[in-house]
Amino acid sequence: MIIICNISHRFTLFPMEKCIVRYAIVLSYLLCLMLQGCSQPMGFYDPNMDFGSIHTVAVMPFANLTDQNKAHERVRDVFINALLASSPIYVLPPGEVARGISRTQVAESASPSVEDAQKLGATLGVDAIITGVVKEYGEVRSGTAQANVIAVSLRMMEVQTGKVVWAASASKGGINTKDRLLGGGGQPMNQVTEEAVRELVNQLFH
Amino acid sequence: MSLLTSFSTKAPFFCAALLFGICLALSGQAVATPVLEANSAQPLVAVLPFENLSGAPAPLRQLREEMIKALRNQCGIAVLEEKALEDFMAAHRVRYVGGIDSELAVAFRQETGAQSVLITSFEFQDERVPLKICLTSRLVSTANPPIILWMDSVGLSGDDSPGLLGLGLIHDPAALRGKALARLASSLLETLEGRAVLPGSAGKFRPRIVFRSPVLAPGQPYVLAVLPFFNRSDRKNGGDLMALQFIKELARYEAFQLVEPGVIRQVLLRARIIMDDGLSLSDAAVLFSELRADLILSGKVLDYQESLAFSGSPVVDFSALLFEAKSREIVWASDSHNEGADGVYFYDWGKISTASDLASRMVRSVGSLIAQ
Repeated sequence: MIIICNISHRFTLFPMEKCIVRYAIVLSYLLCLMLQGCSQPMGFYDPNMDFGSIHTVAVMPFANLTDQNKAHERVRDVFINALLASSPIYVLPPGEVARGISRTQVAESASPSVEDAQKLGATLGVDAIITGVVKEYGEVRSGTAQANVIAVSLRMMEVQTGKVVWAASASKGGINTKDRLLGGGGQPMNQVTEEAVRELVNQLFH
Repeated sequence: MSLLTSFSTKAPFFCAALLFGICLALSGQAVATPVLEANSAQPLVAVLPFENLSGAPAPLRQLREEMIKALRNQCGIAVLEEKALEDFMAAHRVRYVGGIDSELAVAFRQETGAQSVLITSFEFQDERVPLKICLTSRLVSTANPPIILWMDSVGLSGDDSPGLLGLGLIHDPAALRGKALARLASSLLETLEGRAVLPGSAGKFRPRIVFRSPVLAPGQPYVLAVLPFFNRSDRKNGGDLMALQFIKELARYEAFQLVEPGVIRQVLLRARIIMDDGLSLSDAAVLFSELRADLILSGKVLDYQESLAFSGSPVVDFSALLFEAKSREIVWASDSHNEGADGVYFYDWGKISTASDLASRMVRSVGSLIAQ
């Protein structure tokens, strides 16, 4: 409790109260830092990787762990366009990637092995391969509230070494307090998808 | 009254002269048909049987007859006789009516004397309230290669303009059909008379994500081929419908010379190109060379859904990729998603009732950005 006294001069704090104020400031700062840490998306960067050396990437077909059969295609399309639009990296056309997969006979195109990734990268002439998993896509309900939600994870493998040099996840949408109290259907699915994809692209070029 | 009479008597001759002039100007290697041209005062148009892209049975014969009537009465166009068309189609074993290739175009001109061919795709019809009808039509020259002279689409619903106390609602399917066909004929007439204006595009239909490479020079003339889109939607022929929308909107710009879809289809069949998951660079190389195109547009349709109920709204979702011949790279990529009720806040004002109309506006917005 801070006691502010206005006696002869304006707003004077006693020594005890000064100490409390200092503690409160330090505590709130630490709390802010902790909360900021919680809100930051999980990500991995290879500290030895020079991301400036990546000029062309191939975005592999994403794995789909949802019950929406077109979810992985939608998210992949949005991601390819967002990557082209907001970065100097050139993304190989999906048709060319499909041809490369067919030529190299990669069995697990959504999660290729190191050897497969290297072989595919050499065939396609790309510097890196991006794979992805769509973990959640669609509507969630809680009581009377409902909203759209998406959860995506991406990984980037460098073709030369076959190492994972970047990995990140993003989840957007869902039911918030406002939805619970006031109802409402949340944001449209395409908007939620764009937000998640933009966050992933920002993480890649942060 | 006299003005009207004067216009109605002169309009057919005026249109005929203009149509003939456009055909001649655009068809560099046009094969002359001296006998027919000497005998007939008007250029002849062959109206092909309608292509059904609706995925359901449709009164195509009736629609075609009404279309021919509208062309004759409203535009004053001379239409090739039914018997001559049937004989020609039987002789050349024409089964595909969604386009014409170069060989067929030349044969049309030489054997029937038709200077152009009208190709119409029937998109959708719903005879439940509210009534709906969607059609796309284009006029293609019988030159080598065939050139798209005019193209437009119409997507109407019976409740588009309800008016005061619902007096403007259309409950009669024939009335809605007539309105749709009259609108197409009117658009054709405007183009033939040189009165067509480039329609604007609303901001709410702009693509959500856009990539444009500096390689794509604004204002530079390009020969552009639009491939059928990959259809990942539940709508039958959604890919073909979206490709037609792109052809229609991009054909409005002088900078783009669109390759007739019939020619593209012929090349795809001849080169046995099967695209499973998009256009590969090797396939693109074949198409660039065979079609002599500078740009190839390809894409994917994820949603092409009509409104399911009276209060529902259509949904269209697609992505587009543009390949350039010299760099063999993607020079344009965009992602669009809209619903018919987007930006509608008061009493359905501005609501779009058909997927065709919605797609048309979205593609118009993409087209204007590509052409910029």
